[in-house]
Amino acid sequence: MSANRRGFLRELASVVASARDAVEPPAAEPPALELSEAELERYSRQLVLPEWGEAAQRAVSEASVLVIGAGALGAPVALYLAGAGVGRIGIVDDDAVELSNLQRQLLHFTPDVGVPKAESAAAKLRFLNPDVVVEPYQVRVEAGNAPALIEGQDLVVDCSDSFATRYAVNAACCAARVRLVEAGVVGMSGLVMSIKPGRSACYRCAFPAAPADAPRCADAGVLGPAAGVIGSLQALEALKLLTGVAPAIADGFLQVDLATTEFLRVHAARRADCPDCGNGR
Amino acid sequence: MAARTLDISALTCPMTWVRTKLELERMAAGEELEVRCGAGEALVNVPRSAREAGHSVAVQGTTIRIVRGASR
Repeated sequence: MSANRRGFLRELASVVASARDAVEPPAAEPPALELSEAELERYSRQLVLPEWGEAAQRAVSEASVLVIGAGALGAPVALYLAGAGVGRIGIVDDDAVELSNLQRQLLHFTPDVGVPKAESAAAKLRFLNPDVVVEPYQVRVEAGNAPALIEGQDLVVDCSDSFATRYAVNAACCAARVRLVEAGVVGMSGLVMSIKPGRSACYRCAFPAAPADAPRCADAGVLGPAAGVIGSLQALEALKLLTGVAPAIADGFLQVDLATTEFLRVHAARRADCPDCGNGR
Repeated sequence: MAARTLDISALTCPMTWVRTKLELERMAAGEELEVRCGAGEALVNVPRSAREAGHSVAVQGTTIRIVRGASR
């Protein structure tokens, strides 16, 4: 199902619900979540947390999240979101699995070399949690198609390895007012940033232009666990944004030095003149 | 009005507290929940978890009476 069609169907469902509510009085409280025995067991370790209850589980099961990139960051993100019971996960990647990926891209295994990453990822995610609807998209995200992919999503998690993609995703999320978790890792350092368009600093507020000499993993390298740490932090941010169980890293970003294991919160203010989320938008 | 009841005697930890916790979440502050528990670790863990969550707890044999505390 294309993102456009899904966005249309969500809007249609919303119109129908509004019409129904206009006739019937709204319910006093939401109906019980009605988790099955298997779901209670599957999600028991998060249900038992004081901060996480039925409301959090409902929020997660009703959420649609787009994960851009099925690589080193996308793997832990998609795995943890599927594990937590996110209702719908879109996974976007136009590459095929390569041998050099297997050092850190935990969704792909040796027999998957040559297989499209989006398909390889979707197969593992469905195997992990059959309750999750997984939608693979074998496309490269760019300014032209980003709005359609993002439409109808509750959250986007950018796990791409390209600045061009990052800025295109940021712009599209700001325009659509869809929350975004941004991150990057290379060598032994990384960063994680949560973005609430129109409310907190966006990626372009913090980083107005891509660095001229940015290294890529292919040149600079990256240790598997370094990517795992950053991707896991992204997954955590995503769950925080979906459920509100803890505050997200907003109005700034988390800078992580994995050689020294130092975590640093860096503040970034929303810019009124930001081309993506500024007052003129 | 009769208290709400929940039978967790056939469950194993941590499902015992998970079920109890979810039931308590659906209740209003001051409402009472009567939990039928099996003998064993649940009879220790559930009252402790309920107290840590801010509810009032009284244990009589294998029955745990919990009065739902204020919402957080």
